[in-house]
Amino acid sequence: MPSTLEKIRVLGENSKYDICASTASSRTDKYPKLFGDSEQRIGAVESGGICHSYTPDGRCMSLFKTLYTNKCIYSCKYCFSYNSKKKMSFTPEEYARVFMKLYSMNVVEGIFISSAVCGSADATTEEMLEAIRLLRFKYNFQGYVHFKCLPGVSQYLLKEAISLSDRISINTEASTKDHLAQIAEQKDFNNDIITRQRWLKQLRIKNNEKAIKAMRDKNQDNHLKYQEKMIKDRREDGYKKFRWDGAPILNSGQTTQFVVGAAENETDYDLLKRIDWGYKKIDLRRAYFSSFIPIEGTPLEGKHPAPLSREHRLYQSDWLLRIYHYKLEDLKEILTEEGNLPKGDPKIFLARRYFKDHDPVDPNSATYQELLRIPGIGPISAKRIINLRTSNFVFNRRQDLKSVGVVLKRAEPFLVINGQNQTTLNKFIDTNDNKIAP
Amino acid sequence: MKKERDDKDPLKVVGCARGHSHEELIRNLPRHRDFTPFLNQQIKKIPEVILRNSGNPIAKKINCMMREVSTEAYRAKQFTRTEINNHGVLYGVVSLKHRVIDLVLNYFHERWPECVICLYNEQTIKTTIIDEKGIIKEFNSPLKKIVEKVSNDRPNIPYFNDIQFSGEKIFETLYNSQFISERENQTFFNKMIPDKCYRLPGMRGGVEKRFRNKRINDYF
Repeated sequence: MPSTLEKIRVLGENSKYDICASTASSRTDKYPKLFGDSEQRIGAVESGGICHSYTPDGRCMSLFKTLYTNKCIYSCKYCFSYNSKKKMSFTPEEYARVFMKLYSMNVVEGIFISSAVCGSADATTEEMLEAIRLLRFKYNFQGYVHFKCLPGVSQYLLKEAISLSDRISINTEASTKDHLAQIAEQKDFNNDIITRQRWLKQLRIKNNEKAIKAMRDKNQDNHLKYQEKMIKDRREDGYKKFRWDGAPILNSGQTTQFVVGAAENETDYDLLKRIDWGYKKIDLRRAYFSSFIPIEGTPLEGKHPAPLSREHRLYQSDWLLRIYHYKLEDLKEILTEEGNLPKGDPKIFLARRYFKDHDPVDPNSATYQELLRIPGIGPISAKRIINLRTSNFVFNRRQDLKSVGVVLKRAEPFLVINGQNQTTLNKFIDTNDNKIAP
Repeated sequence: MKKERDDKDPLKVVGCARGHSHEELIRNLPRHRDFTPFLNQQIKKIPEVILRNSGNPIAKKINCMMREVSTEAYRAKQFTRTEINNHGVLYGVVSLKHRVIDLVLNYFHERWPECVICLYNEQTIKTTIIDEKGIIKEFNSPLKKIVEKVSNDRPNIPYFNDIQFSGEKIFETLYNSQFISERENQTFFNKMIPDKCYRLPGMRGGVEKRFRNKRINDYF
């Protein structure tokens, strides 16, 4: 019988490739007693999240991140569990107590509970939920819980998981059915994953509508009416209008994770297409990418690891889709022939392409969308520029832009400031005969 | 409430994006150890337009002081390591130069509202406690004495004494298990935990620090 320490070592190591944000909840005191009505509550959620330590790769380590069990009926070719010789499981009580001990030391901020599929998805999920139930109702823990759903889990268990967690996720792993079949042939892409993601969306909306209605009837609070609208409010193209929708139940929404570079011929475009679908159809809050790293003893042992820069470019593009509201078609234009993102910041490539046909913009007259197209100007600085213009402020110095947070080094080539645009030597060279123009 | 803006004063308009208001400064600046009543008087006299302009020397100084205060409070929340005893007393050691102990205590009180929190500040050599009602008291006695005194008045509720391993050992095991060697990035790591943070009580001899020390075998 392995000791608790041994379980943490093995199951923690098996979960190290799972990615999650530190804590991502904007849950507030407005929704008290979501998880039991005991007055002896323990734990709180910090909206910004607090990182209590960092691993030597610089990643924040603020959640108690281990598998519940590593006994798995699947044999995914990229997975740690494929070749793991030491098979073990926590018991719900053991899991809950170890976490509470760590929480009392102020070394973790919340829980990230994931698992291999032991016996059946439902049986394992039942045990995981038991651990969370103990935390919520026995130990009265009110802090952050990220629940990783197993592929093929039943709807009634998802319903309970939603009511106990702050964030929920199902790993998509690959962008399409064919790509998933290459690396995890036993998993049914449509049934085990996509259908569950759709259920999560429906259950979340339904539960929140019910919860808000109940609270409104009780409090007659107009603020809740506004939040109800926020949950439903969507852009024409399907993307959420607001980053946080203020939902009391499953406040941090649904996420997913992809293994980048494990499946053959899976391009960046395939992955972007899938997350674009996710944002439009299943209320995906965000996607995580994990570069494939070959693990000894697995069928993909000999395969080259995916470069970390690819993962970084995918995150940049995801940001452009989600925060900047670029269209997938825009990103498609800058892809290489193979369908991958070019080396370098995608926003600079997009800007170069856009400003080939358009003149540099004047910050005093550009629209919000035009400003967002300029590298070095993000949503916050674009909003500041627009706000200042409404106060009749005129930007006629570089310093004015710098003071609102614009990164001039990147933005200047695409801007006209006080009637002047930054020039380059290339502009003075006659491209036909490479002579310096008079 | 919509702020009134003077269209003719560019500093006021540009400055609205950054800096602190008078109220924020008056509320938070006294937390800084170098704060003097004279500085307070000075701030009151200076218009907000100037205070918000980061190019102005006095604004620069004030912003720097505000940043020092908020950073210290945040670092203390991040890296203070605590322990809980069987009487529901949560205690730890902090090293705070500025007057932010109430912020740190409130942070722990939010998490453990049923516990009494005791924090010993190495800089002031004082122990500050916050009780279940959120009342803060300061003592000149050492931490151990205060914890004993508070514990005596409280019932014995065993928290986690059936766990056979020390908390440090559990955390060390978890911490070591999360490291992906292929992704090692010392520069990024150093940025996230700056050297000065290792001087904080919770970090001394901590696992994070040990990871940075290379053993002789690493060089061969």
